[in-house]
Amino acid sequence: MLSELVKNELKRIVGTANAAFAREELLCYSYDATNTLYPPDAVVFVKSAEEVSLILKMANSEGFPVIPRGAGSGFSGGSLPVEGGVVISTERMNGIIEIDTENLTAVVEPGVVLWEFQQEVEKKGLFYPPDPSSLRFSTLGGNIAECAGGPRAVKYGVTKDYVLGLEVVLPTGEIINTGVRTAKGVVGYDLTKLMVGSEGTLGVVTKATLKLVPLPEATRTLLAVFPDLKDAATAVSGIIKAKVIPSTLELIDGVSLKCVEEYAKAGLPEAEAVLLIEVDGSREGVVKDSEVVERICMEYGAQSVKSATGKDEVRDLWKARRAISASLFRVKPNKINEDVVVPRASIPELIGGVREIADRLNLTIACFGHAGDGNIHVNVMYDKTNPCEAKAAEDAVTEVFKLTVELKGTISGEHGVGVSKARYLSLELKPEAIEAMKRIKAAFDPNGILNPGKIFPKKAAEEGAYMVGAEAASGVPATGL
Amino acid sequence: MNTLELLKEEIEKCVRCGTCRSVCPTLKAIGRETACARGRITLVEHRLKGSLELSGNYLRHIKECTLCGACKSNCPNGVDTVRIFAGARAEAVEKEGVPYAASVVFKNLLESNRLPWALKLANRLQGVLFRDAVASSGLLSRFPLPLIGSGRLLPPIAKTPFLELPNVKALSGHGRPGGALGKAVRVAFYAGCGVNYLMPEIGTASLDVLKRAGVEVVVPVGQVCCGMPAYAMGDRATARAMALKNLDIFESCNFDFVTTACATCGHGLKSLFKDMLGDDPELKSRVEAFSKKVRDISELLVNELGFKGKGRGPGHETKVTYHDPCHLGRAQGVREEPRALIASCPGVSLEEMKNPCSCCGLGGGLSLVNYELSMEIAKRKAENIRSSGADVVVTACPGCMVHLRDGLHRFGVNAKVAHVVELL
Ligand SMILES: Cc1cc2nc3c(=O)[nH]c(=O)nc-3n(C[C@H](O)[C@H](O)[C@H](O)COP(=O)(O)OP(=O)(O)OC[C@H]3O[C@@H](n4cnc5c(N)ncnc54)[C@H](O)[C@@H]3O)c2cc1C
Ligand code: SF4
Ligand code: SF4
Repeated sequence: MLSELVKNELKRIVGTANAAFAREELLCYSYDATNTLYPPDAVVFVKSAEEVSLILKMANSEGFPVIPRGAGSGFSGGSLPVEGGVVISTERMNGIIEIDTENLTAVVEPGVVLWEFQQEVEKKGLFYPPDPSSLRFSTLGGNIAECAGGPRAVKYGVTKDYVLGLEVVLPTGEIINTGVRTAKGVVGYDLTKLMVGSEGTLGVVTKATLKLVPLPEATRTLLAVFPDLKDAATAVSGIIKAKVIPSTLELIDGVSLKCVEEYAKAGLPEAEAVLLIEVDGSREGVVKDSEVVERICMEYGAQSVKSATGKDEVRDLWKARRAISASLFRVKPNKINEDVVVPRASIPELIGGVREIADRLNLTIACFGHAGDGNIHVNVMYDKTNPCEAKAAEDAVTEVFKLTVELKGTISGEHGVGVSKARYLSLELKPEAIEAMKRIKAAFDPNGILNPGKIFPKKAAEEGAYMVGAEAASGVPATGL
Repeated sequence: MNTLELLKEEIEKCVRCGTCRSVCPTLKAIGRETACARGRITLVEHRLKGSLELSGNYLRHIKECTLCGACKSNCPNGVDTVRIFAGARAEAVEKEGVPYAASVVFKNLLESNRLPWALKLANRLQGVLFRDAVASSGLLSRFPLPLIGSGRLLPPIAKTPFLELPNVKALSGHGRPGGALGKAVRVAFYAGCGVNYLMPEIGTASLDVLKRAGVEVVVPVGQVCCGMPAYAMGDRATARAMALKNLDIFESCNFDFVTTACATCGHGLKSLFKDMLGDDPELKSRVEAFSKKVRDISELLVNELGFKGKGRGPGHETKVTYHDPCHLGRAQGVREEPRALIASCPGVSLEEMKNPCSCCGLGGGLSLVNYELSMEIAKRKAENIRSSGADVVVTACPGCMVHLRDGLHRFGVNAKVAHVVELL
C-alpha cells in the first residue's frame, strides 16, 4: 500500500491525469502474457527520464517497488508487480526521435512499438532486423530489456546486436548515458550490454540509439515439407553446412501445424514437420541460395519444397508462423512454453528427447521455433484441472531443461528468467555465477526497489508472503502460458 | 444463468497474449491497456467473479469500445470479444436499466415506420431542445444527430422519411402477400434507420439500381429498426422485440432475397437476429430461414444478379478509395464485391488507402459515449484518405458515411463521401 503522501507526490511528478490508482486501472496492469495477475498499487504514465528519476528517488526513500512495463507481452513475468508497487508504463514515451540515414542509426523512446519503428525505417530503405513474433505489439523498451529475438537471428542476430547506446535511469535515480553512436567504442565497462537483457532490474531505459542496416534487395520464402521430424531437424544443419545462411530457418512440427492452420488458414500442409526458410540479399544471390536450399532439403528427405509466390502468400505464412504460440491452446487449455536453445547440431537429439519425454509422460508437446540458431520453443500442453497431467507437465519441463543443459544449451534463448524460470536458474548457472550477478544487482540497486522478485530465486526462509505469489507464477500448474 | 456466466467460457479463452493491442483503434487513440480487448476482458472477468463494482470507471472502459471486432478477427485463440463486450453492456443495463431518454426513443423506433416524435421535434427545432433525449436515443447511438458541440457536421433529418415516400409506399408489397414467385427474382428491401431518416437518397438509389438489375422489389411495410443500436447499448429486450417484429413482417411477404444498403443492419439481420432470438427453438429455425436470404446490396448485385460492369459511374474521371465498414468487411466478409462494383464503373480508378478496414470511430455508440475519442479515431482514417489522394471515399454504410463526413470536414480533407449504390 502506498501512503497518501506518496500518491500525491506521484501525481505531482507525472500530472494527475497520468497517475492511476483506481482498481479498474490497476487490474489492467496486473498481468502479462504469462496470464498471471498481481495488481500494482499505482500505474504512472511517464513522459521523460526526469519523471522516472524523481519516482525512483522517492521509491528509495519511501521503500516501494517500481516495475517498468512496455506492452506487457512478456513470457516470463518480467513486468508483473509480484510485490505490488508502482508500475511505470512507457506507453506515452513512444516517439521516434531520429532516423539517421547517413550513419545508419536511430534514436527512439522505449514505448515505440517494434512494428511501427520497422515501418518507418523501411520507408527510408533501411532495416532493423530483430523480429520477435510479438513484433506487432511489443515495445522496443521491452525488447531491449528481454533481448528479444526472432527468426532472423540466425543471420542477423538479436536485439543486443543492434543497441549502440542507451539513456538509462539507474535504480537510485541518476540518469546516465551508456555506449556510443559509432561502430566502435571501448571506453570503460560496456554498460549497454549489461543493461540489454537485464529484464528491467538494473535500470529504466528512457532512450535508445539503435543500429540499422541496409534493407536487402530481395527475399524469397520457401516451405519444405518433411514426413519425418528428425529429418527436418537434421536438414537445418545441412543447410548451414552448405554455407548458406538463410535470414530465417524455422522448424514447425505436426502438432503446431495443425493448430495454427485452424486459425490462420494459410494453406499449411498436414505433415510431420515443415521448415519455413527465407533467404535474402541481392536478386541473383537469392535465386542461387534458394536453389541450394531446395536441393539440400530434398537430399535430407523433404517430400516437397515450394517457393511462396506473391506478397499475400508470404504474409499469410508469416501470420501463421507468428500465431502458433497462442493458437496451441486449441489442443489443451494450459501450456508451459519454454524457449530452450541447443547447439544447432544437437537439435535432432533435443527433438528426439522431447518426443521420448512426451510419449513416456503421455503428454502433447509441440515444438517449433528458430531452428536456424538452435532455439526451439517447447510447448507442454496440459489441463490444469487434471492434477496428474499438471504434475506430468511440470516433470516434463524439468526433464527438458536437464536435457538442454546436457546438450550444452541454455534454458532460455529469448523470453528471459523473470518469475517463471527463477527456480530453474541453478540448473544452468553455478552458485558462484549467481552470486556475482546478485552483487551486480546490489551495486546498482542497494535497496532492491527496481523490479524485485525477478531472476533470482529466493530461499523460502527469506520469502515470507511473496513466495505464495511466486509459486503461482512460476509454479507450473497455475499459469496459463 | 446470468448474462455474465454465459460468457465465462469465452472469457477464459483469453490467454492475455496481447495480440489485440496491435489492432485496437481505441488503444491507438487512448494509449492505455484499459482501452484494448485484453484489458476490457480482464475487467469483465472481475465483474463475473464478483470482485468489481459496476463503477463509472468500469462502464466507461466497457463503453469506450467501438465493437469493431478487429480484436476478434486477429485473436489467435478465437475469442469472441464482441460477444463479451455486448454481453457486459447487457449486464450493466440489467442492473441499471436503459437510460430514460433512450428507452423513449427505442419505443418509438419499435412503432412501425412512423417518425419518432423526438426526431420530428428535433428536425423542427434543429437541436436546441431535446438534446438529451435525442443524444442518447437508440437511433442516435449510431447516428449522432444530437446537434451538440460546435463544428460538428451532422446530417439534417429527412423531411419525408424514405419509407413514407409515395413511390416507396407503392412497393410495400401490400395486397400480394404470398404472391407466387414469378420468373423475376423478387427482392425485399430493408431500409434501416440511417436510410429511412437521414439518407433517403441512398434508398432511392438502391431501388433504382435493383430495378436496372431486373429484379422485382418489395419494401415490406411496417419494418422497424433492426435492433443493432439497442443491442450495442446492452438493451437486449428492445433489440429482441425489434428483431421479432421485423421477422414477422418479412415473413408475411414472399421473396428470394432480403437486401439492405446498411452494413450494420445487414450484419444484424444475418447474424445477430440469431443471437437475439435463437434461445427459442421455434424462433431459431425461423430466424435461420430468414437470415439465409439476407445479402448486402453489393453482394446481391455481384454474386446473385451479375451486375458487375453495369454501373453508370460518376460521369467523369474520378479517383475513388473504399472504406470497409467493420460490419461489412470483418463481420460479413464482404470486401471484394463493393470493390468489384466500384472498379468496374466507367471513369473510376480505385486507389486503396492504408488500412481500409480500420474502424471509422463511430461504432458501438462510441461517438455518443466519447465523441472526442471517436474523432481521434476518425482522424487516422481521414489522414489515410487524404494520402490516398482520392476525390471520393466510397463506403457501404450510412453510419460510416455520417462519421466520415464529420471527420473529413473536421480535419480539412476535401474528399466527398458516397455510398456504393450512388456510384452505380
Ligand atoms: C505471442 C507472443 C510471441 C512472442 N514471441 C517472441 C519471440 O519470438 N521472441 C522473443 O524474444 N520474445 C517473444 N515474446 C515475448 C515478448 O513479446 C518479448 O519479451 C518482448 O520483448 C516484451 O516486450 P514488451 O514491450 O511487451 O515488454 P513487457 O512485457 O512490458 O516487459 C518485459 C520486461 O521488460 C522490462 N521493461 C519494459 N520496458 C522497459 C524499459 N523501458 N526499461 C527497462 N525495462 C523495461 C519489464 O520490466 C519486463 O521485465 C512473445 C510474446 C508473445 C505474447
Ligand atoms: S488476442 Fe485474444 S487471447 Fe490474446 S489477449 Fe487479445 S483477446 Fe486475449
Ligand atoms: S472491438 Fe474494436 S474497439 Fe473494441 S476492443 Fe476490439 S478492437 Fe478495440
